[in-house]
Amino acid sequence: MTNAASAQSGARGPLEAARFVPGQPDMWAFVLFEAFVFTSYFTVYVVSRARNPDLFLASQAHLDLRVGVVNTLLLLTSSLFVARCVQAAREGSYQAATTNAFLTMFFGFAFLVSKLREWVVEIGQGFTFTSDEFFSFYYFLTAIHFIHLLIGFVVLAVAVHQLRNPARRSQVIVETCATYWHTIDFLWVLIFALLYVMR
Amino acid sequence: MNESATATVPAEPPRSFLRKIAWQLRHDEKRELWIGWWTLVVFYNLYGLLFFVITRTQPPPKPSLDPSEIVQWFADRRHGLIYGYGIVFIVGGATAIMNATLAYSMRRMSVSRAFAYSYLVIYALSTLPGMLLMGIVGTVGAMRPDRDPALMVWLYDFAFLSFEGTMGVFLIGSLVWMVAVLLDENGVFPKWFAYLNLCNALTEVVVAPAWIFRSGPFAWNGTIAWWINMGVFVTYTSVFLTLLRRLILREDFGTGPLPELAKDRAPRSSGLLEAAR
Repeated sequence: MTNAASAQSGARGPLEAARFVPGQPDMWAFVLFEAFVFTSYFTVYVVSRARNPDLFLASQAHLDLRVGVVNTLLLLTSSLFVARCVQAAREGSYQAATTNAFLTMFFGFAFLVSKLREWVVEIGQGFTFTSDEFFSFYYFLTAIHFIHLLIGFVVLAVAVHQLRNPARRSQVIVETCATYWHTIDFLWVLIFALLYVMR
Repeated sequence: MNESATATVPAEPPRSFLRKIAWQLRHDEKRELWIGWWTLVVFYNLYGLLFFVITRTQPPPKPSLDPSEIVQWFADRRHGLIYGYGIVFIVGGATAIMNATLAYSMRRMSVSRAFAYSYLVIYALSTLPGMLLMGIVGTVGAMRPDRDPALMVWLYDFAFLSFEGTMGVFLIGSLVWMVAVLLDENGVFPKWFAYLNLCNALTEVVVAPAWIFRSGPFAWNGTIAWWINMGVFVTYTSVFLTLLRRLILREDFGTGPLPELAKDRAPRSSGLLEAAR
């Protein structure tokens, strides 16, 4: 990642603030592209569900909505901390920003553990990737999201690396990392709504 | 290219199309790069023609065909498979020029040579699952139609699973390119291309269930495992071809940051991108 904007302060002029996009605009291209790809996955899910609503409803009933809610809250909390991390970095409070980045990682890790536990429980009950169409989608969507989350830890590590080194510090890169993390959160909320809530 | 060499080059290429090409082949200091780029363009178009039209192996057929249907499938496209894959075997070596052109982009970056070398090795390997295995197995099926149908089923599965289900090499290749672009300080490619590499790499993971499912969206001909992936792959390929062309236009054969094209150097109003930088 470029360090062109190294040690950029949080203060921006009125014109810049009006046109401000957090982080590298390049990351927003990623967000847009991932949104397109996931929208196509969701469309296939919804079409499959419409073709076989009884099976999807029956299988969906085996998911624990409470676990889904806990997962969502964990990830939303992690997103709150990454937002606080960006805010602290903008204000020049790099110690607080680093702490918030670690808290983001902690809640992300809690989500990860919770998700693994949920998979173990489902598999223990005999619901696997090949059990039926609903569970194929369930494992597929949650697993592809899981991979995004694992990459998210690398991204957060980049943010911490930036924040800890005064010579390297770049507000743009910290915001770029936060944008990626929010994307994970955004995608999970959609997956949660489709798999756990939509009846 | 040194100055004494460039000094002997005629100032302007002729206007006639053929003479212009001849002039460029003799005098253009970027001719090797342009040959590499045009090889990429021609190869990808030919690849599409051979796999989609001549052999008719793409879009892939159903994985769940029974043995008699599979024997019929080979019989229906016998000539297409033989001649189509014959051409694939002849032009397959062009992948060396293509991979070299792609790796050149990494050699022009301010990153370790290890990136370009890793990419070359990975993509040399990728010609096996990406092209040759399917060609060999498809040709065997077409040339030996009298074999036991059970063997034809085996060939059919081998052809499509080796082609659709082995995307690990492409995944790692995309990640190598992604990291190189992110670390590069010469501005060879925009950073968003690194993130597009990540999108492409992630869709390579999605084809893995094709080994398990014989119908539905995750099968080798499924909406998710094939159609959406193909959409991403075509977008990704079009983008890197465009960016490689820009790289060649901007190339100054130096080692520092790549200069911008003249039309991009003109002062612009401070747009969204500028504001965020």
